[in-house]
Amino acid sequence: MATDLRISNISKIYPGCVANDNVSLQFKSGKIYALLGENGAGKSTLVKILSGVINPDNGEVFLNEKNLKLSSPLDAKKNKIGMVFQHFNLFETLSVFENLSIDATEDNKSLRVRINKILKKYNFNIDLDVPVLNLSAGQKQKVEIIRCLLRSPKVLIMDEPTSVLTEQETEELFISLKKFCDEGILIIYITHKLKEVLSLCDEVAVMRKGKVVSVSQTQNEKVETLANKMVGQKLAKIKKKINISKNKDEIFKVKHLNFYSDDPFETNLVNLNFSVKKGECLGIAGISGNGQNELFQILSGEIITPNTSIIFRNKEIAKLNPKQRREYLMAFSPEDRISQAAVPELKIYENVALNNFKSSNFFEKGLVNERKIKEHSKKILSDFSVNTDNVELKSQFLSGGNLQKLILGRELITAPELLICYNPTWGLDVGAINYIHETLIKINDQEKSTILISTDTEELLKLSDRIAVIYKGKLSNIMPSDEVTPEKLGILMGGGSID
Amino acid sequence: MSLDISFIGILIGSIMASSVPLILAASGELITERSGVLNLGVEGMMIIGAISGFALMVITDNLFIAIIGSMLSGVVISLIFGFLTQSLLTNHVATGLALTIFGIGLSAMLGKDFVGIPGKDFPILFSSLRESIPFFGPILFGHSIILYFAFVLPFLTSYFLKKTKLGLIVRAVGDSPVSASNQGINVILVRYCCILYGGGMCGLAGAYLSLIYTPQWIENMTAGRGWIALALVVFATWSPIKVLIGAIIFGGISILQLHMQAVGFRIPVQFLIALPYLMTIIVLVVISRDSRKIKLNTPTSLGRIFYKEK
Repeated sequence: MATDLRISNISKIYPGCVANDNVSLQFKSGKIYALLGENGAGKSTLVKILSGVINPDNGEVFLNEKNLKLSSPLDAKKNKIGMVFQHFNLFETLSVFENLSIDATEDNKSLRVRINKILKKYNFNIDLDVPVLNLSAGQKQKVEIIRCLLRSPKVLIMDEPTSVLTEQETEELFISLKKFCDEGILIIYITHKLKEVLSLCDEVAVMRKGKVVSVSQTQNEKVETLANKMVGQKLAKIKKKINISKNKDEIFKVKHLNFYSDDPFETNLVNLNFSVKKGECLGIAGISGNGQNELFQILSGEIITPNTSIIFRNKEIAKLNPKQRREYLMAFSPEDRISQAAVPELKIYENVALNNFKSSNFFEKGLVNERKIKEHSKKILSDFSVNTDNVELKSQFLSGGNLQKLILGRELITAPELLICYNPTWGLDVGAINYIHETLIKINDQEKSTILISTDTEELLKLSDRIAVIYKGKLSNIMPSDEVTPEKLGILMGGGSID
Repeated sequence: MSLDISFIGILIGSIMASSVPLILAASGELITERSGVLNLGVEGMMIIGAISGFALMVITDNLFIAIIGSMLSGVVISLIFGFLTQSLLTNHVATGLALTIFGIGLSAMLGKDFVGIPGKDFPILFSSLRESIPFFGPILFGHSIILYFAFVLPFLTSYFLKKTKLGLIVRAVGDSPVSASNQGINVILVRYCCILYGGGMCGLAGAYLSLIYTPQWIENMTAGRGWIALALVVFATWSPIKVLIGAIIFGGISILQLHMQAVGFRIPVQFLIALPYLMTIIVLVVISRDSRKIKLNTPTSLGRIFYKEK
């Protein structure tokens, strides 16, 4: 039976923020719908309303012309609306089977039979009797999907499902979603990733600041048109002027970098040698898990390796810790914003104070010089257009993009000679990505250098002057980026060789 | 000291009796904590149970009413804790501490008129078998019904948590209240029930002290047993069977060190008094050292305030 879901004039207002402003949309089964928008555009609020987690201030939801009262998650379940949240709603310490049986109405035996049927049908490979905390992110998501499928849903809502998945897992997910769609389940796919919309979905609704700004067929759209709709303005196309001059000074030089670890989860690094010139961006490409983590930690001084020589501004710094390296005007932006770069529970100005220099006088005689830190933080917030001027705000309330701006601002306001960043735009929306890219290019224009370790080839080609690929802890030859194509990078990243 | 076999039997019987209040209170608190609520008011709830049970026994002269009343008083006082932490979202630790202080004070006030009144004999079961079978008699027979209940309770608790649907829901709420709420489980209701159950068991543990173990009312007669029960739950890594083992070891060494003091071993008395605490912790740490299992048994949301998104 065909399913028809209609949302009519939904509004939800939080103090100081209109999350949903008169949203009306219509969905029909047999198609995959994308709900696209930047972080904070109101997508998550809308799906939370659809799944009964929060109640709208206004508006109605109709399923097959029946007006639904969705005042709790139970109501959504009863009406066969299934939902896979971005942050999984699983019980980590319970087994997979216990997780699935918790809201089941049948006895365990027949439930197990039904689950096994689903596992077989969609080719899911999951052990039902291990605790969920032992599963990978992709497997956890499958458990969530199975939980929805057990209730034979009419509507399946996926909230940013690929943000935690590997590329392989993403492909598997897309295959499953297409199967569900063919079986008549209406699929609503929430994302801010434009390419996923184009490759998976049939129709796309774009949200901005709580409003639906456009509904269209994806076949009529391109990455650029969607991006412009999402951000609300024409995005400047960023392309860096490649800047390779032979006679510039080498500011940073690494020799004989070796790293051996007994930990099976770490990658050994084998004899890396490279150098960075003044005003240059060196890109390091690679599929994640090929030694980038270890490389970043060694370059930042978190790990000290023996017999390695790192020369920075004519000084040997290989034995210095991160704080000492910073004093020599190096700066670092790690991959994990929340647990490595910032402390989410601390206020903005406290996070700024964590990166203190002798010259910055944040601390006097063991006391915190709050006024000075706050002034300094305010300058960062305004210079790097973070969307708040409240330095007392806890950092966890910043969106990913704003947090990254804050971190980069903190690192850059001391005018470092070399910035090393690792996946600086991971998980951000287009607007924030553009801002960060512009900032990184500006650094090079000011004759400062950057090392960009990234898993995003497009970003690397856009920003780097020279590119090398890291594969299983070994570095390829360093190539000028105008001689590099995405295909070439792809081959090297997969362990192949060119020419 | 003659270590004949019947003496050992009697000794084991008395060790069992002394561990009963710990088993009861810790089993109750275990369920509360498994639902993610940390109630530090165990000591307070126990002492309220003790005075209510004793007072009701004196007033009504009916032991059944006394036992039920002590459990109800535990339920009522834990309801205060539940209302504060679950409905008014106060901090679990501070509220629990306040509950203990309140309970000790209130019980002293209520108990003023009951000091010095002798208790009543509590009926014991199978008393004839106790005398007629050497060694096993004093161990297995001649105890109050509460003791038999206490020794079955950890197994029932374990079965409840592992095998029943309700137990699964309690564990799920303790693991992730947000997920449970999104699955349509009424988290607040589940937590209220677990808090009230814990209160009832603590009340019963208190009544065991004032009606059976030392049948009289003495001010502050729980003497820190509530804190021991709390510690047992943590060191037993939220496993009911390990709580039972821990309670028996603690009770056992408490009794043994008394005998050792009596015999006059050349060991400082202070060390002997500290011995039960030390041994219980050492044994429980050793039997619970599997870090994977600890992770699986620990209620992830323990002590954290849960409020529903609206």
